[in-house]
Amino acid sequence: MSALAEILVRPDVWRGDRLAQAPLPTVASGFAALDSELPGGGWPRGALTELLVDGAGIGELSLLTFALAKIRENGGWSLLVAPPHPLHAPAWAAAGLDLARLAVVSPASGRDALWAMEQALVSRAPRAVVGWLPYADARALRRLQVAAAGSDALAFLFRSTRLAVDASAAPLRLQLAGEEGQLTVRIIKRRGPPLAASIRLALPRPARLRSRDHAHESPLAGRPAVRQPAHA
Amino acid sequence: MRMNPLWLAVRLSDNPPTPSGLAAGPSQGEAVKHAEPRSGEHPSPLPSGRGAGGGSQLACWAGAFTPRVSLAENALLLEIGGCLRLFGGLDVLRTQVAQGLVEQGIAARMAVAATPQAALWLAEGGGDVLDALAITDLTWPPGVAEKLTRFGLRRLGELRRLTFAALARRIGKPAATLLARAWGEAPDPRLDFVFPLRFDEAIELPAAVENAPALMFAARRLTGALAGWLNVRQAGLRECRLDLVHRQGATPLPLRFAEPTRDGQRFERVLRERLERLQLTAPVERLRLIVDSVEALPGSSGGLFDEGGAKEGMAALVERLRARLGEERVFGIAPVAEHRPECATRQATVGASTASPTPPRPFWLLEKPESLVEIGGRPHRRGPLRLLAGPERIESGWWDQQEGVGDIRRDYFIALTQDQRWAWVFRELRAPGGWYLHGWFA
Repeated sequence: MSALAEILVRPDVWRGDRLAQAPLPTVASGFAALDSELPGGGWPRGALTELLVDGAGIGELSLLTFALAKIRENGGWSLLVAPPHPLHAPAWAAAGLDLARLAVVSPASGRDALWAMEQALVSRAPRAVVGWLPYADARALRRLQVAAAGSDALAFLFRSTRLAVDASAAPLRLQLAGEEGQLTVRIIKRRGPPLAASIRLALPRPARLRSRDHAHESPLAGRPAVRQPAHA
Repeated sequence: MRMNPLWLAVRLSDNPPTPSGLAAGPSQGEAVKHAEPRSGEHPSPLPSGRGAGGGSQLACWAGAFTPRVSLAENALLLEIGGCLRLFGGLDVLRTQVAQGLVEQGIAARMAVAATPQAALWLAEGGGDVLDALAITDLTWPPGVAEKLTRFGLRRLGELRRLTFAALARRIGKPAATLLARAWGEAPDPRLDFVFPLRFDEAIELPAAVENAPALMFAARRLTGALAGWLNVRQAGLRECRLDLVHRQGATPLPLRFAEPTRDGQRFERVLRERLERLQLTAPVERLRLIVDSVEALPGSSGGLFDEGGAKEGMAALVERLRARLGEERVFGIAPVAEHRPECATRQATVGASTASPTPPRPFWLLEKPESLVEIGGRPHRRGPLRLLAGPERIESGWWDQQEGVGDIRRDYFIALTQDQRWAWVFRELRAPGGWYLHGWFA
């Protein structure tokens, strides 16, 4: 094998026209359409993944639940740092995220949150670290990427979409948006050729959205009708 | 299997102990290099480690290596024949002992031999071969070294030609006995150090310390002693207390751990976080580490948090985060069999086990329901909400009138906002009514 060919098969070297191999085995996201566009075929371990999203409720967390449940299956811990709202335990349990392997850090300041997330990654104790630092700056991201690179954990960071145009040390950056009740993902940075199209994902959503669900057709029209006995 | 006894002597240096001035035997050079004191810690507030307290602390610390420890004059003897395999060989053990001494700022020389007296002399004279030691480098009963020098004898080996009786006649029985013990020709019984039943150790600081992080260096002697003591007791602890004693009294610093542990590094990490945040009210003159209760913790324990490969276990991470950010800021969650959403989650000890099935529920529940505008009979939040499922009637809690959430009667709906967020909203059925946003299906 020529020297160049040898270099090109190294996992940390990728050619611009094809997806890189991930240095560590990835963790499947559970969405084939997404996995096929991610280097290594899933969420990277030992690298920071940036998720750009504003506010809550478009399915940004459901995007991660498959991978987090996978981590759990293997006995691994997940740590949430500075989540934007209090956790509603029944939902987490129902999503297959065993709460006995979930820890939450709710720091008083963004600085503490950054510190906690960095410490968690450096410790290599949790197998997944998810942080909400909507306005973390480029320096903070560099620190987190360095910490993530020294671990083999999944590392997700939620940031505001306003920072999409800024430089970022994260090797993988996804911008999330809601569309027709579904989550669309735009990969704005990855180790591989750029991807112009957004990917629409069929996430588990709490209710079905039908085209006839328009504002004037409201379930309010009837009586409180949930679980009415079906009789003729 | 009966192991041959092997003795490791640690001889405290006569020089004032400085972390860089450790006079180790030739094979310790490497260990010393690895174990430079961490930067940022000032080594100057050195505690006086040689008093009665210093000796027992050092003996406790040695308990991390072997339960058979003996105090000698200005030296410590460790019987290591039985624990070599556990540590992976003599070199590894020596390196660890040397590193531990450096971390505590203790200057010492070490030597290993088959008898305690030989180990002590080798540590004193510096060398690997007993018979090659210079007589004048060793401690003898008064007058003996001078007498031997006058006879023209310089090396220990030259005394081998004489019988015990002849030696005893010339240099006295005590000195002759020392030699016989060193050579293994006479029994050398040593009094085992008795590990105290209760751990309560103190260190006097040579100078009062005004900034808390600088206490770390001295405190490390206490945490090291504690780890060794726990090892001998085959116990672990969840809590201990460091008292910072000053003129006005003492500032107690409780140290808590997520599970029973005897890991000295975990003690240190938690203590470091606490000291870094601490403002001292008065210069500290004395440190005292107290343990009130311990739990049995046999062998090398596989804890609740145990995970192979991690540099620091989950428990250690949790306790370090708590030490810095506050106890209440790191927690687990558990569902509660409660209809009222506000009461369906409770903070739990990290690692508590749970399970519970429910209809669709949002990952996030707002701290306080957000009031929504009602226009034309439907809720608005930056535009009208599309109600996609519901209502789910939740009424409960009539028994809970005094505090908290109390009695509720609500119809819950799953709704989509104009900006494509999945919301959990409810219509209040009690007066005065109205619509509220309660959670997000993130």
